[in-house]
Amino acid sequence: MTEKIKPANAQSTQDSQSEQDVQGVQSSQSTQSTQDSKKQASLVAIIVTAVIAIAGIALWIFQLTDGMVNTNMRNLDSWGLYIIMFMLFVGLSAGGLIISSVPRVFGIRGFGAIGKVATWVSICCTVLAVAFVVVDLGGPLRLWELVAYANISSPLMWDIIVLTLYLIISIVYLWATIRTDNGTGSPKVLRILSVFALIAAVLVHTVTAWIFGLQIAHEFWYTALLGPWFVSSALVSGLALVLVVAAILRKSGRLELENKDYSRMVMLLGVFTAVDLYFFGCDLLTSGFPGGTGADIVALLTTGVLAPYFWFEVVSGAITMIIAFSPSLRRPSLIVLASVISIVAILCKRIQLLIGGFQIANIQHATVSSGPALSESGQAFANVAPALVYFPSALEFGIVIGVLSLGAFLLLLGLRMLPLLPANLQN
Amino acid sequence: MAEQRLGMVIDMKGCIACSSCAMACKIENNLPDENWWNRVLTVGGENRDTPSGTYPNLSMESMTLACQHCENPACTRVCPVGATVKREEDGVVLQDYDKCIGCRMCIAACPYTGVRSFNWEEPKYCLPFATGDADVPSHQKHVVEKCTFCNHRLAKGEAPACIEPCPARVRFFGDLNDPSSEVSKLISSRKYQQLLVERGTNPSIYYLV
Repeated sequence: MTEKIKPANAQSTQDSQSEQDVQGVQSSQSTQSTQDSKKQASLVAIIVTAVIAIAGIALWIFQLTDGMVNTNMRNLDSWGLYIIMFMLFVGLSAGGLIISSVPRVFGIRGFGAIGKVATWVSICCTVLAVAFVVVDLGGPLRLWELVAYANISSPLMWDIIVLTLYLIISIVYLWATIRTDNGTGSPKVLRILSVFALIAAVLVHTVTAWIFGLQIAHEFWYTALLGPWFVSSALVSGLALVLVVAAILRKSGRLELENKDYSRMVMLLGVFTAVDLYFFGCDLLTSGFPGGTGADIVALLTTGVLAPYFWFEVVSGAITMIIAFSPSLRRPSLIVLASVISIVAILCKRIQLLIGGFQIANIQHATVSSGPALSESGQAFANVAPALVYFPSALEFGIVIGVLSLGAFLLLLGLRMLPLLPANLQN
Repeated sequence: MAEQRLGMVIDMKGCIACSSCAMACKIENNLPDENWWNRVLTVGGENRDTPSGTYPNLSMESMTLACQHCENPACTRVCPVGATVKREEDGVVLQDYDKCIGCRMCIAACPYTGVRSFNWEEPKYCLPFATGDADVPSHQKHVVEKCTFCNHRLAKGEAPACIEPCPARVRFFGDLNDPSSEVSKLISSRKYQQLLVERGTNPSIYYLV
């Protein structure tokens, strides 16, 4: 398949080169100046994101010194926005690797020149996922203990191992892709690498699910379906992210992608969304059917405090599928819309899973709580949206913005420094 | 089988919800403000010390809740650095503050709501001096802690601090593996329940009902 796609790529490169030639000398000067201003804009963006990321680090240091009491996490909702974002970004990292490795593994037609950018997006998302776990820790200076005292029975330990492997494989895979495209690497080695990358991708989502899915403490979490379900959610959000990035690069003229490839990706997004919602349906029926406490969870999602998140996910899934499966609706603007709402929908799913897990306490008898259930600012919000066990504090939002900026910084730096785009458009 | 399985028996028929055990625990272990390893729960009523049911068919019952020192603990399995472990010799589930990285996975894994608590800030104390036993490890910011069955007292052959001060004499402590112990005799002669048995953790706290 590599043999098949390479000439195609080379062809398109030649085409665009000849197109540029045809455009002639007079426009080349203006092209030069637009490229200069583009380059300058990207430099400004890199500096801005770096500054915001550093501000985020300052907030994080404040959180560590003044205490995590500044977050709205408490003993009855001991995880919050950071872990929601961790789940989201592990999922978002799926898209790039899948898009570039699956066609290679199975020897089918690829999705064009998007492969390397997509892999880089994957790598950035994986770094962010790790960062979100680190900011959630009470004692990040004790991280070395993970190596020294590793407890192999902990799903969190499994996830740390698999995430590390995943990050390394992604980087090696990207490096090998760049080499192969330059003609210096071996397509055979690349294909073998792509198999490992694919296996690592499936594993990393499954193991992340097991952090929750193996906990008998929370009925909402404890289901064998959680592993496959995390994989399907990862595919939805990951592919949607690739589509958004592709749309931006296309618009700015830095990436040429055939409409056909773009349409095929959005159809795939429709399929993944259908599978994800199907899993959700299966899980809800299994929880709710016997009545009992499982029915409380179904009620919490469909009519309770988490209903807005649940229904957003369902409705946006339906819209995504309609756009993906109607040839007349597969227009760039609508595709971007479907992609953006798909990412938000998966964020909603992560919120439901995390907060939903803590929302219904196993032991509900009246008592003093050990520490307040909500902080003051959390309490203030609880008055607006009563009964939600957790809502993030301003500090948590601030740190999340900082981490996201770190991601944007890495992404832009990679686009600038690495040969991720076709050479003629790179500059 | 472990040599010993230390456990507690609490007679819910006699508990008068006075919170003496909770206070004894707090003083003995010099617990920071707002931190309670052992608490009194009102069964049924909407608020503390309120009866369940509708007048005139009211009933009131209380119980105390702390770490259940499960025979099959969910928390020890998930800790990535082994900061919480079950001691094989006597089945006590312990927490090592110096090791804990503050990931709070154990809180998420424990089915018994609120028995594990995280120090969300530098521990604060309403008293200007420390209380309780000098052998209690000092409390740290950003680590998880919980009932240790008063590990420092066990080392001296004493029962946990919450047992003795109970004015209703409904708290008992001993080796559940020893058929001649007071706790074993109580659970062989009285009706009892364990909390959330369906989760398979087999807690070492038995409530006589």
